[in-house]
Amino acid sequence: MSSFRLTLERRQQVSTLRSTTTYILGLLLGLGFGLLVLLSAGAPAATLLDDLVIQVFFSAMGLAQTLTLAVPLILVGLAATSAMRLRFWNVGIEGQLWLGAIGATLVALSDFGSESLRLPTMLLASAIAGAAWIAVPLILKLRAGVNELVVTLLLSNVAYLLLQHLLFGAWKDPVNSFPVSPRFDENEQLASLGFGNLHSGIYVALGITLLMTILVQKSRTGFYVDVIGRNRTTALATGIPVTATITLMILLSGALAGLAGGLIVIGVEHRLTQTIGINTTFSGIVIAFIARFNPLAVLPTAIVLAGIYNAGGTLKVFYGIPDAIVVLIQGMVLLTLLMVQFFSSYRVSLLRQSAQQPGQPST
Amino acid sequence: MEQFITSWLGSTPAFAIPLALASMGLVLCERAGVLNMGAEGYMALGAMTAAVLTLTLGNPAIGIAAAVLAGAALALIFGFAVVIMRCEQILAGLATMAVGLGIAGVVGRPYVHKSFEGLQPLDIPLLDQIPLLGRLLFNQDILVYLTVLIGVGLWFLLERTRAGLKIRAVGEDPASADVAGVQVQLQQLMAITASGALCGLAGAYLSVASSSVWVDNMVAGRGWIALALVVFARWDPLKALAGAFLFGAIEALLPRLQAIGVPAPIYLMNMLPYLFTIAVLLIAAWSGTKKGVEPAALGKPYVRQDRH
Repeated sequence: MSSFRLTLERRQQVSTLRSTTTYILGLLLGLGFGLLVLLSAGAPAATLLDDLVIQVFFSAMGLAQTLTLAVPLILVGLAATSAMRLRFWNVGIEGQLWLGAIGATLVALSDFGSESLRLPTMLLASAIAGAAWIAVPLILKLRAGVNELVVTLLLSNVAYLLLQHLLFGAWKDPVNSFPVSPRFDENEQLASLGFGNLHSGIYVALGITLLMTILVQKSRTGFYVDVIGRNRTTALATGIPVTATITLMILLSGALAGLAGGLIVIGVEHRLTQTIGINTTFSGIVIAFIARFNPLAVLPTAIVLAGIYNAGGTLKVFYGIPDAIVVLIQGMVLLTLLMVQFFSSYRVSLLRQSAQQPGQPST
Repeated sequence: MEQFITSWLGSTPAFAIPLALASMGLVLCERAGVLNMGAEGYMALGAMTAAVLTLTLGNPAIGIAAAVLAGAALALIFGFAVVIMRCEQILAGLATMAVGLGIAGVVGRPYVHKSFEGLQPLDIPLLDQIPLLGRLLFNQDILVYLTVLIGVGLWFLLERTRAGLKIRAVGEDPASADVAGVQVQLQQLMAITASGALCGLAGAYLSVASSSVWVDNMVAGRGWIALALVVFARWDPLKALAGAFLFGAIEALLPRLQAIGVPAPIYLMNMLPYLFTIAVLLIAAWSGTKKGVEPAALGKPYVRQDRH
């Protein structure tokens, strides 16, 4: 008498080939699902390649818009990367982004500092404001052991209410019926590159990506982050400065999200509005995850996602497909990627088992 | 003044019920050890499903039932991902949230801003004229009473029955529960599905009972508040119910204060529930009660191989 049983075993060693193959297959599968969703929502198959690829990456205006959208996405992708490498759940990227936008606007509206240094001051203020906003959950976690997941989430709501409080109150533009702040002066706007709406913020995003890559992959801090992310107890036992490293990386995460908000108001909107940064927490996490928490890979990932957002705008205008479809596609790609990881992390095998040997582990 | 309080309390359930249903569902899920970040998505899907079916069929009851099924179905996908495929729970939850929001936005698009005849309050004569509490207690729709019943039932299930003991055992120590013969995966799948159903019902309440219309972004972050309420309520369904009424009362009060001309900074006052929740988290962490309350295996995928 014998029976068959499925057993599940965690793989101790996962070969690069296996993890790469499952990752690529998962990504393709997820994007395939996304395409199916687009088609079933009414996007015409005949022009899909044109709408999704040619128009957003290979036409001048389309590419300019894609890169403009990519600037904040690169930064929030890096913000998520910075936190998630340490397994710190920053699900309040939106909150830090809004605070960054508020910080930059505060400097602009109060005409703080000298005029020639106004732009750097605004960028610095946005980074500081974002870092300050994440400092609260960071301190609560380090000093009292409070779960950062809920606190970052709640503080996003608080940040949005603060944004509304300002836009419906003290900062409301008197000559505008919408809740927006007054327009920034010329010297408080980032230089346009003469390529659609694209502004010099793209250089900031590129430069920071490079610095983050060096920090994470070449520096001593990056090595500490790796060890802490894998096993905090080991890191503590080997004398790695755990608290200092976490503090640095998490404040950096908040600062990058804040800078993303700053660049949106300084570079594109030229005023504070209440529609910026919606869904950036989720997008940041999706980008970081698809990029495998590698800062350099965040760059192409964010640009591709920006292209999808851009195409989403076209689909909305021409075919009436709601922009919620972009969120749906992101969700499906992430879910598929997560699920296929099962096949690289676990080994499923069919075991023949004799009846005399009970208690064999099974799923 | 009396009339102000009567109508304020009377309108509180409209704000409290969605939070209560969703957070009670999440309490159940987290007691089984699964951190479910998808609530916002289940609620959106439920709200859209209920509104669309009520609009097309003209029957709120069918709409509400379909919303419950839709929430449960989406939660089952999440359950498959985290229980069978052992995905990281937070990420899988966020992905499910996005799928729910996305489907609601895409499918519900043609039905936006079309109002319909929703669920009506029960007609209880005389009693609803009682000052102060009359409207709160006797001028509500059937879902309000059902929500209170669900709360009590859930508490009884978790704390007083063998089935509840199994769920809690899985959330505290799945390995020991497994050795004792509890089917860990089955318990978790059931808890996840039930939480999705309750979140779907919460969404249905938003569209069919409290507003009688479907609009984009209808859930507006209530799923996240529900998630915070779980921690606020220390994983107790009755405290989640009470907390939802507290939050709902604050939410219902602020526009009323503004309407009668009280110069209140409403956006700042709306921050209070969030700040209050953070304060509760901090106090719980300092007083050291956290360890005893939070399910010990929350968020950790279980594989038999890891059994100690």
